Amino acid sequence: MKFTASRETLLKPLQLVAGIVERRQTLPVLSNVLLVLNEQELSVTGTDLEVEIRSQVQLEAAGESGEITVPARKFVDICRSLPDGAEIKFSTEDGRAILRSGRSRFALSTLPANEFPSVEEQSGRMSFTVAQQKLKQLIDKTAFAMAQQDVRYYLNGMLWEVSGNRLRVVATDGHRLAMSDGDIQVNPNNVGDDKAEQSILPRKGVVELARLLSDEGEVNVVMGTNHARIEGEDFRFTSKLVDGAYPDYERVLPKGGTQILEGERDGLKQAFQRASILSNEKYRGVRMQLEGDQLTIMANNPEQETAEEEITVDYNGGTLELGFNVNYIIDVLNVLGGDKVRFTLSDANSSALMDDHSDDSSVYVIMPMRL
Amino acid sequence: MAGVAEFSGNEIMPSMEIASATQRKIIHCDCDCFFAAVEIRDDVALVGLPVAVGGAERRGVVAACNYEAREFGVHSAMPMGQAMRLCPNLVVVPPNFEKYRDISLQIRKVFFDYTDHVEPLSLDEAFLDVTGSDQCGGSATMMAREIKARIRKEVGITVSAGAAPNKFLAKIASDWEKPDGLFVITPAQVDEFVRKLPVGKIFGVGRATEKKLNALGVTHCDDLREITLPVLVERFGAMGKRLYELSRGIDHREVKSDRRRKSLSVEHTYLDDLAALPDCLQELSSLHEKFVARLARVDSSYQVGRQFMKLRFNDFTTTTIERNFSAGPVLDSYKTLCEEAWQRGKRPVRLIGLGVRFDDVVESIDAGQTELF
Repeated sequence: MKFTASRETLLKPLQLVAGIVERRQTLPVLSNVLLVLNEQELSVTGTDLEVEIRSQVQLEAAGESGEITVPARKFVDICRSLPDGAEIKFSTEDGRAILRSGRSRFALSTLPANEFPSVEEQSGRMSFTVAQQKLKQLIDKTAFAMAQQDVRYYLNGMLWEVSGNRLRVVATDGHRLAMSDGDIQVNPNNVGDDKAEQSILPRKGVVELARLLSDEGEVNVVMGTNHARIEGEDFRFTSKLVDGAYPDYERVLPKGGTQILEGERDGLKQAFQRASILSNEKYRGVRMQLEGDQLTIMANNPEQETAEEEITVDYNGGTLELGFNVNYIIDVLNVLGGDKVRFTLSDANSSALMDDHSDDSSVYVIMPMRL
Repeated sequence: MAGVAEFSGNEIMPSMEIASATQRKIIHCDCDCFFAAVEIRDDVALVGLPVAVGGAERRGVVAACNYEAREFGVHSAMPMGQAMRLCPNLVVVPPNFEKYRDISLQIRKVFFDYTDHVEPLSLDEAFLDVTGSDQCGGSATMMAREIKARIRKEVGITVSAGAAPNKFLAKIASDWEKPDGLFVITPAQVDEFVRKLPVGKIFGVGRATEKKLNALGVTHCDDLREITLPVLVERFGAMGKRLYELSRGIDHREVKSDRRRKSLSVEHTYLDDLAALPDCLQELSSLHEKFVARLARVDSSYQVGRQFMKLRFNDFTTTTIERNFSAGPVLDSYKTLCEEAWQRGKRPVRLIGLGVRFDDVVESIDAGQTELF
């Protein structure tokens, strides 16, 4: 295998892939990336057995086709530390990968390509296409609410639910929930009924996918029984799905809230952020007092320091006092798009619904803290 | 004892490769027939007899039994009726869980003298990570031996202990020479030991998995190593990766301790009594240095609270003094405390201790956050 490429041409696919390659691997080949050259097309693949990313790039000129695996981190570090515009000559000699550029020469260890594990091709349950920008937006609007290391392992991921030409993504850690809908074009050849199809993508897959998606073009998504595959023009992403039943999220969307609070998103965000400085560092509780069109946000900490923020809002309900984890509120205020934000509330023991009243594609549910 | 060898922190690592990873030292302690041992301890008449702890009523099961009972084929989780048929002379003792809990805490206290990283698995079993412990010259084997001896002396029951570089092997080791056993697997012995290990010994490999493995021609870890990771993952899912690692003696799981410290202190008993205050103040700085080094190892979830000092005089009277200094646990704070404490006795000092209390920042688990589901 032999090719010549500019530093930039090589770095782009390498960096997309290197993120999932873990340093400490029990199987040595997993800390390598697989390079496959087919004349002018170079593909780079990395995997951790849960998530596999393959990225393709067209080289400036055709090389000698072949395949090999090389240590990912070292390969990236070498390419990155060469000067801008450097030309890199790659070749394999006696089981080593030789990199030459200017007056630098590197010989890297290799492992044969056939040792590299690949996710087996699977027939999909269903497939659809979606604008990359849309998919990225759906993830950005909800991913923060995924659980981190919950024993309810299915919460450490994101629910993707397809019904008709709508993709709904849901993330929750059991205390708050984020849900966002987007348009997709479902493959007309999908077999199956009109029932909503549910899959859970693992947290790591979601995070890596968001890094791959750009603002242009579309991706084709194939949902299999055990895997999801998302293919763009220059990458192919495969992730294992989380085996488990996602909680019934519809049940926890509050329905009976009648007390509506509307306010400037920016002003509220700043007020909550200031108040949060003196909330308990661990529990992050703040108190919200509503009376007339006045919202008072109060926080205090174990050192008995206090913060109080007053802000004028539109509010149609009676006097109300609620407690929330301020981080949950700020997280939502950060991802909502519009100028205004709406809270739908009922009482101190019920969840609050937050959304942008001019855009109903994303909704957020936050459970209160007992005061 | 066969198979027992020392390994200590300053042992020369066999190769660069191993030296690059921090070698851990894990001890697994497992009380021998815990409930039964406690009951026999408390009733001499039971010594030498087959004893089972558990409900004697019709639906009772054996919660624990001693080795004398095991000779008749009695084992834990067996219905008591069946146990009594197998062993007509079986002495059945009703369980007293409160007592077992108290004894378990007593045992745990011994563990905590060697490390903070204690992960109890049940009342009678725990993992200890003694990697950073400097007791017994840092030797895990010596610590395990000492723990066994202390529990025998202070609690009156026997414990089997295993020491190894990870949890998986430590647990197997504690079972290796049960009862009252001590078995050590040094880093250099891991490979050979694991190769000869029957797959059924791997934690998580039950009868079903073992059968599946046997069907693949796998009876020992040695055979298991012949199978590639992708194949294992495909056949056994997440367990496949575990099998791959465990068959190579790899287990990165950490010893998870949920213990919250209430204080941290160091103390020293002097060979020759310190005659007066100036001698005490002079000794203070090296003791304080040791304390600061320990404090640095405490994670950031702790908030330092009040400083305290303990002086024991040569007449064995002890005085402690505690105060919150705005400067925190610096040497000057302890000098002040030492001066005041010495005034209370005004005689030669045999022991000085100093430390801090921690403010508990983790008061309760949920603090009022309500749940969606």
